[in-house]
Amino acid sequence: MAKVTLTVNGEIRSASVPPETTLLKLLREEFGLTGSKLGCDVGDCGACTVIVDGKSVNSCLMLAVQADGRDVLTVEGLATMEHLHPLQQLFEDKGSLQCGFCGPGVIMSAKALLDENPDPTEQEIRDALAGNLCRCTGYSKMIEAIQAVARAGRGEPAAKSVV
Amino acid sequence: MRAFEVVSARDARHAVALLAERVPTAKVKVLAGGTDLLADLKFASSSHAPDVVIDISRARELGNISLTDEGLSIGALVTHTEIMRSPIIRDLFPALVDAAHTIGAVQTRNLGTLGGNLVTAVPSVDSGPTLVALDARVTLLGPAGERSMPLADFFVGPRRTALKPDELLVEILIPKENLGKPACFLKFGLRKGQALALVNVAASVWVDWDTQAFVAPRIALGAVAPKVIHASTAEAYLEGRAIDQEAMAEAGRLAVGDAKPINDFRASAEYRRDLIAVLTRRALEGAYGLAQKWRSEKT
Repeated sequence: MAKVTLTVNGEIRSASVPPETTLLKLLREEFGLTGSKLGCDVGDCGACTVIVDGKSVNSCLMLAVQADGRDVLTVEGLATMEHLHPLQQLFEDKGSLQCGFCGPGVIMSAKALLDENPDPTEQEIRDALAGNLCRCTGYSKMIEAIQAVARAGRGEPAAKSVV
Repeated sequence: MRAFEVVSARDARHAVALLAERVPTAKVKVLAGGTDLLADLKFASSSHAPDVVIDISRARELGNISLTDEGLSIGALVTHTEIMRSPIIRDLFPALVDAAHTIGAVQTRNLGTLGGNLVTAVPSVDSGPTLVALDARVTLLGPAGERSMPLADFFVGPRRTALKPDELLVEILIPKENLGKPACFLKFGLRKGQALALVNVAASVWVDWDTQAFVAPRIALGAVAPKVIHASTAEAYLEGRAIDQEAMAEAGRLAVGDAKPINDFRASAEYRRDLIAVLTRRALEGAYGLAQKWRSEKT
């Protein structure tokens, strides 16, 4: 067994797991954080996307021991008891998700993008979501939501053509 | 995944010591970014699964990009995202930035490393052609010390390299005589995102502005042979030749003869041959265009 200690959504968490355990499995099965999804399990679908030390990664392609000592943010770390995160709120307002399975991964990819680039172009948003497969929506309303969050973050009014 | 032991290496020397200790008695794999290795291990049959995984992802000295007396040194653990953002690489080799950008998606580029991409050595390796076209060398660290070889020779075949079981790829070096050599990388895949190349091509050229001729033209082709190859016939044809559209188009046609593309479910060999001719011409035009742009910016 391997002992891992890491920061998850601001809290220090520890667990003893078999060495071949992925970060995704650690989050879901040891810590009960089932927001991050197990989809393809080989880094194609992005349903398991979390943010590690500020960068979006596929948690199915990282061993738990590699996350030892690092700072991990999952979709559960976004909302407070009072408020959804702006990305979650705008995804809801605009109906950006249908079945929703890809949602936590998409939202974490969008968060990583906006943290580094508060004013992305549509193409930059599409590039940021290239590793998150959604078979329901066609992405348009996700992109609208991300653009709206970016505008609000910059203190600009919402575009009239949407909502 | 089948169970395995994970040993974390502090640095490259520690990793090589661990390899020397474990390789004689166990199946050992080296883990860097994990984007290839962990995906492979989930499907590995028990005969291929490792007993021991040596995790080198914390060997931070392998994560540097620096200009040295020998050229541009890129540590094996530099990620594709770090290549895209490196001011030195953006200045000197925008083709490497373009190539890195075509690999996987953001999540894979954040974890995946240049060294890992090269060691996996699939024939369509997107990091390969530009580096081969820039005569890059790789530095391998083993029990007896370092050795260096051209990247073109490091690739041996599909998923096969010259790396010995007790060696670690530690550095990729673009030699100093090629610093700032204009280069261009082009990839043709079936989608924009997360696509494997049907064909990828890189060209690099120096220009003799007095005679308006190509000097040291290099063309590297990926996904159309068991490994990344030089289009040697096309390179020889262009050496010292006056630069014009027809010469670049002819080099494209000659490059087709240097390749051995296969039929597979992504594309026919015939389609790949057509792509080689077009992409080679465009890559040469791109490299020459960059040479003109940089020259006009200097004067």
